[in-house]
Amino acid sequence: MTGVQGPSAATGAVVGMVLGTQDVTPVSFWFAVQPGASIQLDDLVVVGTRKPDGAEVRFYGIVDHVRTRHEGVTFDSDVQDVVAGLLPASVSYAARVLVTRVHPENFIPPQPGDAVRHARDADLRMALSADKMGDRAFPGGLLADGQVLPLNYRFVNGENGGHINISGISGVATKTSYALFLLHSIFRSGVMGASASAGRALIFNVKGEDLLFLDQANRDVAAREADAQAQKGLPRTRYELMNLPAEAFRDVQFLAPPRPGSAAGAIVPHVEQRASGVTPFLYSLREFCLRRMLPYVFVDRDASVNLGFVIGSIEDRLYRLAQGADTPYLTVEDWQPDTEQLIDEDVRFDELGGVRISTFPQLVAYLEYKLLDANDGEGDRKWVGKQSPATLQAFIRRLRGVQKHLTPLVRGDLSAAQAAQYRPDPLKPGVQTTVVDIHTLSATAQMFVVGVLLRDLFEHKERVGRQDTVFVVLDELNKYAPRDGDSPIKDVLLDIAERGRSLGIILIGAQQTASEVERRIVSNAAIRVVGRLDLAEAERPEYRFLPQSFRARAGILQPGTMLVSQPDVPNPVLVNYPFPAWATRKDEVDDLRGQKVEDVGDDWLR
Amino acid sequence: MARMRIRLDPWPVDIQGGQLTLKAFGGTLDDVETPRWAAISARPIPERLKQVFVVDGKRRMESRIFIEDPHGQSGLGGFGAYVVGAVELCPHGTRQAELLAVKAQRLLAHAPNLLVEPAQLTPRNPHTGQLEYAPAPMEGHDPLAALNTLQQHMLSAEQRLSHELASRVPLDETDDREWLTALTIQDGTLRGQNLNGAVVGCVKTMETMYLPADRAGLLSDLKPGERTPILRMTYEGGQFTRLIWYVRLSEAAFYQHPMSGVMRLEMFAPDDTDFLPPIVRQVANLSGMLLTRMGSRAHKDPRAPQNLIPTAALEQAMNRSMGSADLVTRRIRAHIAATFGQGAVA
Repeated sequence: MTGVQGPSAATGAVVGMVLGTQDVTPVSFWFAVQPGASIQLDDLVVVGTRKPDGAEVRFYGIVDHVRTRHEGVTFDSDVQDVVAGLLPASVSYAARVLVTRVHPENFIPPQPGDAVRHARDADLRMALSADKMGDRAFPGGLLADGQVLPLNYRFVNGENGGHINISGISGVATKTSYALFLLHSIFRSGVMGASASAGRALIFNVKGEDLLFLDQANRDVAAREADAQAQKGLPRTRYELMNLPAEAFRDVQFLAPPRPGSAAGAIVPHVEQRASGVTPFLYSLREFCLRRMLPYVFVDRDASVNLGFVIGSIEDRLYRLAQGADTPYLTVEDWQPDTEQLIDEDVRFDELGGVRISTFPQLVAYLEYKLLDANDGEGDRKWVGKQSPATLQAFIRRLRGVQKHLTPLVRGDLSAAQAAQYRPDPLKPGVQTTVVDIHTLSATAQMFVVGVLLRDLFEHKERVGRQDTVFVVLDELNKYAPRDGDSPIKDVLLDIAERGRSLGIILIGAQQTASEVERRIVSNAAIRVVGRLDLAEAERPEYRFLPQSFRARAGILQPGTMLVSQPDVPNPVLVNYPFPAWATRKDEVDDLRGQKVEDVGDDWLR
Repeated sequence: MARMRIRLDPWPVDIQGGQLTLKAFGGTLDDVETPRWAAISARPIPERLKQVFVVDGKRRMESRIFIEDPHGQSGLGGFGAYVVGAVELCPHGTRQAELLAVKAQRLLAHAPNLLVEPAQLTPRNPHTGQLEYAPAPMEGHDPLAALNTLQQHMLSAEQRLSHELASRVPLDETDDREWLTALTIQDGTLRGQNLNGAVVGCVKTMETMYLPADRAGLLSDLKPGERTPILRMTYEGGQFTRLIWYVRLSEAAFYQHPMSGVMRLEMFAPDDTDFLPPIVRQVANLSGMLLTRMGSRAHKDPRAPQNLIPTAALEQAMNRSMGSADLVTRRIRAHIAATFGQGAVA
């Protein structure tokens, strides 16, 4: 018996022998591929070598380089003589292995001549450290040879590590698709155990209305998966291989901002393609003040230091102003608006002589009055503080700039019931996945919504603790947390990245270029995924976790293929993942719900 | 008045004698094909010739030794290796050339009448395999006897391989005519007796001018692929007889000796002096076409074009199969030290 625990004998077919003409090291070696064997990049292999005392050491690794050449010839032009049948030469077919694991941990080199085998079954589990993961492994995709890549859930849910970061060129890397596939896998593989129902997802839809059909089956999935199965020669479909249902997401709520300009009575979601099942979301003016949302209106907080002070003090003023009542609107008594200057004309003078502020423009007008107009242009001294008029003007000017974008989202012209009904709540009972559609919003309004929702979520989790893991899917991280500059949204994202994992908030972030995202956010991600990259981008230090050969290859990855790096496996692994089982466009929705056309027709006629 | 002219011997200076140190030939030469002394142009290679083998051999002395046997007898000897091998190729170029039987044999040559056991050199490292030397008694005791033994073993192995691979050549006119389907090209002159195979020896180096002065001029005039008529050659004393002809493989460059690129080919002659076996004529006819195709180029091989492309590859493979001489002698030393010494040395 060998000294190796675990698999007692390597089971895969012998594919070659370790070469003696290149250095053999415990971390990397070349092997000569046997005639008849075919080795491609990303194949996982195992080599056993014996120490002088007879104990066996196994090296598990991934093929990161393959090459062929004519052996025994000297000149490049000899290839013509070889092909003409004059010059005997053999084709040398060799592959380089990056070792991912040595077991037991004796870092001796393998010996030239040691047999190299395909890693299968128990060896594959060792190669990918699945034995360490136990029942906390969930499928992260399929390897090149059709075997399942296990991901360690402990490195996702915050137990050992957390967060997932995905980089890649838009459209080719299909970052969102892979993020959704991972969510599907986490929710449906059973890795969350008894608390499966407790896992939640908050997904921001930033592009088109692609994610508004997550709860609908995809009519193309069966055909596309059958195609892929045939093409790759897999024994079963990719979903079956990973033991995942080919089903749409369950318990999904869709939130969308209200259509601008709609009257108080008819708040309708601003979506084009989906007719039903989308709930509009908005905030009441009072919430805006009470829950200190003002800072999230300002994207570039550090434009000037003084502006930061103004925002802070006004935020505080508004908070005090909103105390004491629970109407969605605010009431003030020290303001006589000049009705001619107002865009909205429904300012009512009632409620004990007070003025009701029921729209965002009115709030801005009130602030302008308090800061600039009151006291014959001196402003209300309590509000103004010691700030210079120029700073105050800058503050008002910025508010005016975003006023149009926030008017539909922050409203006082609602009933209290409406305000409660339309308040966005990703933790609503019965809902597992919340999709917040922000693609129709302007950049400022998007930042506002993302910032406020994440801040609320973070504060909630700070109170209740880490049970109920919430996965936040956010594309274009570089926009919300750019490397340079400072903003309240970036603060929230940094909080989530650095402390979120212990609170059960997991960020599944994506961006085109990791080099443009705040370093602390990317570096906190335990699992890093790379799709197709621009080759110049791939050379940046953010991608040092990719060996050089993988960086070169990142430039030619096809959609549906990702390089996945996780802490348990020191080298990234190339995976492909199945076609979404949920519709990603309106025309993919399976209207017939899997039935045949005739059957549906029969139902209608009956 | 004619100007002085200097032309190059095509072969590198470190090859002893060069290509063109022409000695006179003392034997006899007879026309067997035609009395008309003129160039014969190359003919296409017949379809039914399917296999051409290029055979060569190499030997290497690895260590000279002094042996004392258990009975108190002693004598000289040596560890040596030889290898013979072949390249199999299709003369029509329809498949890739392959190396055949290139495997080193190792001999422990020893003075006669000694009791010698095979020497097994076990590796210090399990990944490097064993070296096994089979005992082979030498003839005589002179210092070169070990090398000669090695050479004899190599030559007879080469001879056997050449003839095993080739088609049979009929010995006289009553023989059933056999088709030429497999031809062996052996490097160098033919040795020993006729084993009756279609084996053609390629003599790269022109050291002896067999042709009389009035015929030698044709060699300079041959065009690439053309050959001379076949001649029957008998060495002085009538010891060996061969059928020989000359072929030009490539145009001589203006700066080279006009006979460079010309090669002498020979085949075994049957005992019947008037009989020219049809196979020999076939081989002569196709030799121009075949050899010009197999000829090497100057930038790849200093002995181009005569050192044929497959021969060069074979030489390389044979060298490799004998292993690094330095490593082998080191292992012999370590073996001696481990087996007979006080302690192991490297």
